[in-house]
Amino acid sequence: MSPPGGGGPSPTGLADVIETILDKGLVIDAYIRVSLVGIELLTIDARIVVASVDTYLRFAEAVNRLDIAQEKEGLPGLVGGSRPGKGTRITKGVLQGVGDKLREYAESERRPAPRRPRSREGY
Amino acid sequence: MAVPAGPEQAREQEQSGCYVYGIVPADVEPAADVAGVGDPPARVQLVRQGSLAALVSEVDLTRRLGTPEDLRAHAQILDAAVIEVPVLPLRFGTVMGSKDAVAAGLLAVYQEAFAAALKQVDGRAQYMVKGRYVEQAVLAEVLAEIPEAARLRQHIQDKDPDATRNARIRLGLIISNAITAKRAADTRALSEVVGPHCVASVVREPTHELDAVHLALLAEITRQDDLDQALSDLASDWAGRIEIRLLGPQAPYDFTPALPPLRIR
Repeated sequence: MSPPGGGGPSPTGLADVIETILDKGLVIDAYIRVSLVGIELLTIDARIVVASVDTYLRFAEAVNRLDIAQEKEGLPGLVGGSRPGKGTRITKGVLQGVGDKLREYAESERRPAPRRPRSREGY
Repeated sequence: MAVPAGPEQAREQEQSGCYVYGIVPADVEPAADVAGVGDPPARVQLVRQGSLAALVSEVDLTRRLGTPEDLRAHAQILDAAVIEVPVLPLRFGTVMGSKDAVAAGLLAVYQEAFAAALKQVDGRAQYMVKGRYVEQAVLAEVLAEIPEAARLRQHIQDKDPDATRNARIRLGLIISNAITAKRAADTRALSEVVGPHCVASVVREPTHELDAVHLALLAEITRQDDLDQALSDLASDWAGRIEIRLLGPQAPYDFTPALPPLRIR
Protein backbone atom coordinates (compact mmCIF):
# COMPACT_ATOMS: atom_id res chain seq x y z
CA MET A 1 0.00 0.00 0.00
CA SER A 2 1.25 3.49 -0.71
CA PRO A 3 2.38 5.24 2.43
CA PRO A 4 -0.68 7.01 3.84
CA GLY A 5 -0.79 10.59 2.75
CA GLY A 6 2.42 10.11 0.85
CA GLY A 7 1.19 9.60 -2.66
CA GLY A 8 4.76 10.03 -3.78
CA PRO A 9 6.54 8.49 -6.70
CA SER A 10 7.63 4.88 -6.82
CA PRO A 11 11.33 4.87 -6.17
CA THR A 12 13.38 2.12 -7.73
CA GLY A 13 14.42 0.09 -4.72
CA LEU A 14 17.50 -2.06 -4.50
CA ALA A 15 15.34 -5.16 -4.87
CA ASP A 16 14.04 -3.81 -8.19
CA VAL A 17 17.60 -3.21 -9.34
CA ILE A 18 18.82 -6.63 -8.28
CA GLU A 19 16.14 -8.64 -10.00
CA THR A 20 16.73 -6.70 -13.18
CA ILE A 21 20.48 -6.39 -13.61
CA LEU A 22 21.43 -9.81 -12.27
CA ASP A 23 18.86 -11.67 -14.27
CA LYS A 24 18.44 -9.68 -17.47
CA GLY A 25 20.60 -8.02 -20.06
CA LEU A 26 23.00 -9.25 -22.67
CA VAL A 27 25.08 -12.23 -21.69
CA ILE A 28 28.48 -12.29 -23.29
CA ASP A 29 30.05 -15.55 -24.34
CA ALA A 30 32.06 -16.96 -21.45
CA TYR A 31 34.95 -17.49 -23.81
CA ILE A 32 35.64 -13.78 -24.19
CA ARG A 33 34.60 -12.78 -20.71
CA VAL A 34 37.20 -12.55 -18.01
CA SER A 35 34.89 -13.30 -15.13
CA LEU A 36 31.43 -12.93 -13.79
CA VAL A 37 32.23 -10.95 -10.72
CA GLY A 38 31.22 -12.39 -7.36
CA ILE A 39 28.12 -11.03 -5.72
CA GLU A 40 28.42 -10.33 -2.03
CA LEU A 41 24.75 -9.95 -1.33
CA LEU A 42 23.02 -12.69 0.58
CA THR A 43 19.47 -11.95 -0.39
CA ILE A 44 19.48 -12.96 -4.01
CA ASP A 45 18.18 -16.49 -3.67
CA ALA A 46 14.86 -15.18 -2.37
CA ARG A 47 13.74 -14.24 -5.83
CA ILE A 48 11.52 -17.10 -6.85
CA VAL A 49 8.25 -17.83 -5.18
CA VAL A 50 7.91 -21.43 -4.13
CA ALA A 51 4.65 -22.15 -2.38
CA SER A 52 5.17 -24.35 0.65
CA VAL A 53 3.31 -25.59 3.70
CA ASP A 54 4.61 -22.53 5.51
CA THR A 55 3.00 -20.32 2.89
CA TYR A 56 -0.29 -22.18 3.25
CA LEU A 57 -0.28 -21.91 7.02
CA ARG A 58 0.50 -18.22 6.78
CA PHE A 59 -2.38 -17.63 4.37
CA ALA A 60 -4.72 -19.58 6.67
CA GLU A 61 -3.67 -17.51 9.64
CA ALA A 62 -4.16 -14.30 7.64
CA VAL A 63 -7.68 -15.44 6.77
CA ASN A 64 -8.30 -16.32 10.39
CA ARG A 65 -7.35 -12.79 11.39
CA LEU A 66 -9.50 -11.12 8.72
CA ASP A 67 -11.63 -8.48 10.33
CA ILE A 68 -15.21 -9.71 10.82
CA ALA A 69 -16.59 -6.17 10.73
CA GLN A 70 -15.05 -5.69 7.36
CA GLU A 71 -16.74 -8.84 6.15
CA LYS A 72 -20.11 -7.69 7.44
CA GLU A 73 -19.84 -4.46 5.52
CA GLY A 74 -19.98 -6.64 2.51
CA LEU A 75 -17.32 -8.14 0.33
CA PRO A 76 -18.48 -6.33 -2.79
CA GLY A 77 -17.44 -3.10 -1.14
CA LEU A 78 -13.99 -4.42 -0.67
CA VAL A 79 -13.73 -6.11 -3.99
CA GLY A 80 -15.36 -3.84 -6.45
CA GLY A 81 -16.03 -0.73 -4.42
CA SER A 82 -15.23 2.48 -6.18
CA ARG A 83 -12.70 4.60 -4.40
CA PRO A 84 -12.04 7.31 -6.91
CA GLY A 85 -10.08 9.42 -4.46
CA LYS A 86 -7.61 6.70 -3.83
CA GLY A 87 -7.28 5.80 -7.46
CA THR A 88 -6.45 9.33 -8.31
CA ARG A 89 -3.74 9.44 -5.72
CA ILE A 90 -2.09 6.30 -6.99
CA THR A 91 -2.31 7.66 -10.46
CA LYS A 92 -0.54 10.83 -9.48
CA GLY A 93 2.13 8.80 -7.81
CA VAL A 94 2.72 6.91 -11.00
CA LEU A 95 2.87 10.03 -13.11
CA GLN A 96 5.15 11.83 -10.75
CA GLY A 97 7.30 8.76 -10.46
CA VAL A 98 8.20 8.80 -14.08
CA GLY A 99 8.39 12.55 -14.38
CA ASP A 100 10.64 12.92 -11.37
CA LYS A 101 12.91 10.23 -12.62
CA LEU A 102 13.24 11.89 -15.97
CA ARG A 103 14.04 15.20 -14.36
CA GLU A 104 16.40 13.57 -11.94
CA TYR A 105 18.34 12.09 -14.80
CA ALA A 106 18.25 15.26 -16.83
CA GLU A 107 19.69 17.21 -13.94
CA SER A 108 21.93 14.52 -12.59
CA GLU A 109 25.48 15.68 -12.29
CA ARG A 110 26.78 12.49 -10.81
CA ARG A 111 25.91 10.31 -13.75
CA PRO A 112 25.17 12.45 -16.75
CA ALA A 113 23.99 10.49 -19.73
CA PRO A 114 26.11 10.20 -22.79
CA ARG A 115 24.74 12.58 -25.36
CA ARG A 116 24.68 12.69 -29.06
CA PRO A 117 26.35 15.56 -30.78
CA ARG A 118 24.40 14.94 -33.96
CA SER A 119 20.77 14.31 -34.67
CA ARG A 120 19.37 10.81 -34.47
CA GLU A 121 19.07 10.75 -38.24
CA GLY A 122 22.83 11.11 -38.40
CA TYR A 123 23.33 7.64 -37.03
CA MET B 1 63.71 -18.79 -27.40
CA ALA B 2 61.15 -16.09 -26.73
CA VAL B 3 61.62 -14.01 -23.67
CA PRO B 4 58.58 -14.44 -21.40
CA ALA B 5 56.90 -11.35 -20.08
CA GLY B 6 58.12 -10.43 -16.65
CA PRO B 7 56.04 -11.86 -13.82
CA GLU B 8 55.52 -8.36 -12.43
CA GLN B 9 53.96 -7.16 -15.64
CA ALA B 10 51.75 -10.20 -16.01
CA ARG B 11 50.42 -9.86 -12.51
CA GLU B 12 49.64 -6.19 -13.01
CA GLN B 13 47.64 -7.00 -16.12
CA GLU B 14 45.60 -9.62 -14.35
CA GLN B 15 44.69 -7.32 -11.51
CA SER B 16 42.93 -4.84 -13.71
CA GLY B 17 40.00 -5.53 -16.02
CA CYS B 18 37.54 -3.65 -18.16
CA TYR B 19 33.99 -3.62 -16.78
CA VAL B 20 31.38 -3.36 -19.55
CA TYR B 21 28.02 -1.70 -18.86
CA GLY B 22 26.41 -1.64 -22.25
CA ILE B 23 26.62 -1.03 -25.97
CA VAL B 24 25.72 2.30 -27.59
CA PRO B 25 26.19 3.85 -31.04
CA ALA B 26 29.70 5.21 -31.67
CA ASP B 27 28.49 8.76 -32.27
CA VAL B 28 27.69 9.50 -28.64
CA GLU B 29 29.65 12.02 -26.67
CA PRO B 30 31.21 10.66 -23.52
CA ALA B 31 29.82 12.50 -20.53
CA ALA B 32 32.47 13.83 -18.22
CA ASP B 33 33.06 12.35 -14.79
CA VAL B 34 30.46 9.64 -14.60
CA ALA B 35 31.24 7.35 -11.69
CA GLY B 36 31.08 3.62 -12.31
CA VAL B 37 31.36 0.49 -10.21
CA GLY B 38 34.17 -0.18 -7.75
CA ASP B 39 35.49 1.51 -4.67
CA PRO B 40 36.60 4.15 -5.33
CA PRO B 41 34.34 4.27 -8.39
CA ALA B 42 36.24 4.41 -11.67
CA ARG B 43 35.34 6.91 -14.39
CA VAL B 44 33.08 5.64 -17.15
CA GLN B 45 34.64 5.79 -20.62
CA LEU B 46 33.76 4.90 -24.17
CA VAL B 47 35.52 2.30 -26.27
CA ARG B 48 34.70 2.80 -29.95
CA GLN B 49 34.87 0.30 -32.78
CA GLY B 50 33.21 0.94 -36.13
CA SER B 51 29.67 2.19 -35.63
CA LEU B 52 29.53 0.93 -32.05
CA ALA B 53 30.85 1.93 -28.66
CA ALA B 54 30.88 0.29 -25.25
CA LEU B 55 30.40 2.06 -21.93
CA VAL B 56 33.23 0.74 -19.77
CA SER B 57 35.30 1.50 -16.70
CA GLU B 58 38.49 0.08 -15.30
CA VAL B 59 37.92 -2.38 -12.49
CA ASP B 60 40.17 -3.90 -9.86
CA LEU B 61 39.98 -7.66 -10.32
CA THR B 62 41.23 -8.35 -6.82
CA ARG B 63 38.12 -6.86 -5.29
CA ARG B 64 34.76 -8.52 -5.60
CA LEU B 65 31.91 -6.46 -6.95
CA GLY B 66 28.32 -6.61 -5.79
CA THR B 67 27.78 -3.99 -3.11
CA PRO B 68 24.52 -2.02 -3.32
CA GLU B 69 26.55 0.91 -4.67
CA ASP B 70 27.97 -1.26 -7.47
CA LEU B 71 24.52 -2.51 -8.41
CA ARG B 72 22.99 0.95 -8.40
CA ALA B 73 25.87 2.43 -10.40
CA HIS B 74 25.44 -0.21 -13.11
CA ALA B 75 21.69 0.42 -13.36
CA GLN B 76 21.92 4.21 -13.13
CA ILE B 77 24.50 4.51 -15.88
CA LEU B 78 22.39 2.45 -18.26
CA ASP B 79 19.07 4.01 -17.27
CA ALA B 80 20.51 7.50 -17.70
CA ALA B 81 21.88 6.56 -21.11
CA VAL B 82 18.61 5.21 -22.49
CA ILE B 83 16.96 8.62 -22.27
CA GLU B 84 19.51 10.02 -24.71
CA VAL B 85 20.65 7.15 -26.91
CA PRO B 86 19.72 3.57 -27.72
CA VAL B 87 21.57 1.23 -25.40
CA LEU B 88 21.97 -2.52 -25.01
CA PRO B 89 22.54 -3.29 -21.32
CA LEU B 90 24.90 -6.08 -20.37
CA ARG B 91 24.22 -8.26 -17.38
CA PHE B 92 25.82 -7.05 -14.17
CA GLY B 93 29.35 -8.31 -13.66
CA THR B 94 30.60 -8.55 -17.23
CA VAL B 95 34.35 -7.93 -17.25
CA MET B 96 36.83 -8.28 -20.10
CA GLY B 97 40.61 -8.18 -20.04
CA SER B 98 41.21 -4.73 -21.52
CA LYS B 99 39.76 -1.97 -23.68
CA ASP B 100 41.40 -3.61 -26.68
CA ALA B 101 39.62 -6.85 -25.86
CA VAL B 102 36.29 -4.99 -25.73
CA ALA B 103 36.92 -3.40 -29.13
CA ALA B 104 38.32 -6.43 -30.92
CA GLY B 105 36.72 -9.29 -29.02
CA LEU B 106 33.24 -7.90 -28.42
CA LEU B 107 32.28 -4.90 -30.58
CA ALA B 108 34.00 -6.12 -33.74
CA VAL B 109 32.78 -9.67 -33.33
CA TYR B 110 29.13 -8.78 -32.78
CA GLN B 111 29.09 -5.63 -34.96
CA GLU B 112 26.08 -6.67 -37.03
CA ALA B 113 24.04 -8.17 -34.22
CA PHE B 114 24.57 -5.14 -31.97
CA ALA B 115 23.85 -2.62 -34.73
CA ALA B 116 20.61 -4.40 -35.60
CA ALA B 117 19.57 -4.64 -31.95
CA LEU B 118 20.34 -0.95 -31.35
CA LYS B 119 18.15 -0.03 -34.29
CA GLN B 120 15.31 -2.02 -32.73
CA VAL B 121 15.46 -0.16 -29.43
CA ASP B 122 16.20 3.29 -30.82
CA GLY B 123 13.85 5.82 -29.22
CA ARG B 124 12.45 3.16 -26.92
CA ALA B 125 12.89 2.32 -23.26
CA GLN B 126 11.84 -0.37 -20.87
CA TYR B 127 9.16 0.23 -18.26
CA MET B 128 8.33 -2.14 -15.44
CA VAL B 129 4.81 -2.51 -14.15
CA LYS B 130 4.63 -4.15 -10.75
CA GLY B 131 1.44 -4.83 -8.85
CA ARG B 132 0.96 -6.28 -5.40
CA TYR B 133 -2.33 -7.60 -4.04
CA VAL B 134 -3.71 -5.90 -0.98
CA GLU B 135 -3.74 -8.96 1.25
CA GLN B 136 -7.03 -8.37 3.04
CA ALA B 137 -8.80 -7.57 -0.19
CA VAL B 138 -7.55 -10.57 -2.10
CA LEU B 139 -8.30 -12.92 0.80
CA ALA B 140 -11.81 -11.53 1.01
CA GLU B 141 -12.22 -12.14 -2.72
CA VAL B 142 -11.17 -15.75 -2.37
CA LEU B 143 -13.56 -16.32 0.54
CA ALA B 144 -16.39 -14.81 -1.46
CA GLU B 145 -15.64 -16.80 -4.58
CA ILE B 146 -14.78 -20.22 -3.17
CA PRO B 147 -17.36 -21.72 -0.77
CA GLU B 148 -14.93 -24.36 0.50
CA ALA B 149 -12.51 -21.61 1.58
CA ALA B 150 -15.27 -19.86 3.53
CA ARG B 151 -16.25 -23.16 5.17
CA LEU B 152 -12.67 -23.95 6.14
CA ARG B 153 -12.27 -20.50 7.59
CA GLN B 154 -15.27 -21.06 9.85
CA HIS B 155 -13.89 -24.45 10.78
CA ILE B 156 -10.50 -23.11 11.96
CA GLN B 157 -11.84 -19.99 13.60
CA ASP B 158 -10.77 -19.70 17.23
CA LYS B 159 -9.51 -23.27 17.29
CA ASP B 160 -6.14 -24.61 18.32
CA PRO B 161 -3.85 -24.22 15.28
CA ASP B 162 -2.26 -27.62 15.86
CA ALA B 163 -5.61 -29.38 16.05
CA THR B 164 -6.74 -27.75 12.78
CA ARG B 165 -3.42 -28.04 10.96
CA ASN B 166 -4.73 -30.09 8.06
CA ALA B 167 -7.68 -27.78 7.52
CA ARG B 168 -5.32 -24.81 7.59
CA ILE B 169 -3.01 -26.34 5.04
CA ARG B 170 -5.98 -27.12 2.81
CA LEU B 171 -7.29 -23.56 3.19
CA GLY B 172 -3.88 -22.06 2.45
CA LEU B 173 -3.48 -24.26 -0.61
CA ILE B 174 -6.86 -23.13 -1.95
CA ILE B 175 -5.85 -19.51 -1.42
CA SER B 176 -2.46 -20.00 -3.02
CA ASN B 177 -4.03 -21.63 -6.08
CA ALA B 178 -6.70 -18.93 -6.27
CA ILE B 179 -4.05 -16.20 -6.20
CA THR B 180 -2.10 -17.95 -8.95
CA ALA B 181 -5.24 -17.96 -11.09
CA LYS B 182 -5.97 -14.31 -10.29
CA ARG B 183 -2.39 -13.39 -11.15
CA ALA B 184 -2.79 -14.95 -14.58
CA ALA B 185 -6.11 -13.19 -15.18
CA ASP B 186 -4.87 -9.81 -13.95
CA THR B 187 -1.70 -10.14 -16.01
CA ARG B 188 -3.85 -10.74 -19.08
CA ALA B 189 -5.93 -7.68 -18.24
CA LEU B 190 -2.81 -5.57 -17.82
CA SER B 191 -1.36 -6.84 -21.10
CA GLU B 192 -4.52 -5.81 -22.90
CA VAL B 193 -4.45 -2.35 -21.36
CA VAL B 194 -0.81 -1.63 -22.18
CA GLY B 195 -0.76 -3.50 -25.50
CA PRO B 196 -1.63 -0.48 -27.65
CA HIS B 197 1.04 1.62 -25.95
CA CYS B 198 4.06 -0.64 -26.19
CA VAL B 199 5.93 -2.50 -28.89
CA ALA B 200 6.70 -5.59 -26.83
CA SER B 201 6.13 -7.02 -23.38
CA VAL B 202 7.54 -9.81 -21.26
CA VAL B 203 5.83 -11.39 -18.27
CA ARG B 204 8.27 -11.81 -15.40
CA GLU B 205 8.02 -14.49 -12.75
CA PRO B 206 6.47 -13.38 -9.46
CA THR B 207 8.99 -12.60 -6.74
CA HIS B 208 6.52 -12.45 -3.85
CA GLU B 209 3.50 -14.57 -2.96
CA LEU B 210 1.22 -11.53 -3.16
CA ASP B 211 2.59 -10.33 -6.50
CA ALA B 212 -0.31 -9.59 -8.82
CA VAL B 213 1.39 -8.45 -12.02
CA HIS B 214 5.02 -8.19 -13.06
CA LEU B 215 5.45 -7.03 -16.62
CA ALA B 216 8.38 -5.56 -18.54
CA LEU B 217 7.39 -3.33 -21.47
CA LEU B 218 9.31 -1.84 -24.35
CA ALA B 219 7.70 1.45 -25.37
CA GLU B 220 8.45 4.58 -27.36
CA ILE B 221 9.83 7.16 -24.96
CA THR B 222 7.79 9.86 -26.70
CA ARG B 223 4.62 7.88 -25.97
CA GLN B 224 5.26 7.55 -22.27
CA ASP B 225 2.33 9.83 -21.46
CA ASP B 226 -0.09 7.46 -23.18
CA LEU B 227 1.30 4.58 -21.17
CA ASP B 228 0.98 6.63 -17.99
CA GLN B 229 -2.61 7.45 -18.76
CA ALA B 230 -3.60 3.87 -19.52
CA LEU B 231 -1.95 2.64 -16.32
CA SER B 232 -3.52 5.42 -14.29
CA ASP B 233 -6.95 4.35 -15.44
CA LEU B 234 -6.15 0.76 -14.55
CA ALA B 235 -4.81 1.84 -11.15
CA SER B 236 -8.16 3.48 -10.49
CA ASP B 237 -10.01 0.32 -11.45
CA TRP B 238 -7.77 -1.72 -9.18
CA ALA B 239 -7.73 0.71 -6.28
CA GLY B 240 -8.00 -1.07 -2.94
CA ARG B 241 -7.30 -4.40 -4.57
CA ILE B 242 -3.97 -4.16 -6.38
CA GLU B 243 -1.36 -1.48 -5.89
CA ILE B 244 0.66 -0.84 -8.98
CA ARG B 245 3.96 0.85 -9.52
CA LEU B 246 5.51 1.98 -12.77
CA LEU B 247 9.29 2.03 -12.97
CA GLY B 248 11.21 3.57 -15.81
CA PRO B 249 12.37 4.61 -18.25
CA GLN B 250 15.05 1.95 -17.96
CA ALA B 251 17.54 0.41 -20.36
CA PRO B 252 15.89 -2.49 -22.24
CA TYR B 253 17.17 -5.26 -19.98
CA ASP B 254 14.42 -7.70 -20.91
CA PHE B 255 14.62 -6.96 -24.62
CA THR B 256 18.21 -7.68 -25.54
CA PRO B 257 18.81 -10.25 -28.26
CA ALA B 258 20.34 -13.63 -27.64
CA LEU B 259 23.76 -13.46 -29.26
CA PRO B 260 24.84 -16.04 -31.79
CA PRO B 261 27.43 -18.41 -30.34
CA LEU B 262 30.96 -17.19 -30.81
CA ARG B 263 33.05 -18.94 -33.40
CA ILE B 264 36.36 -19.68 -31.81
CA ARG B 265 39.12 -19.05 -34.25
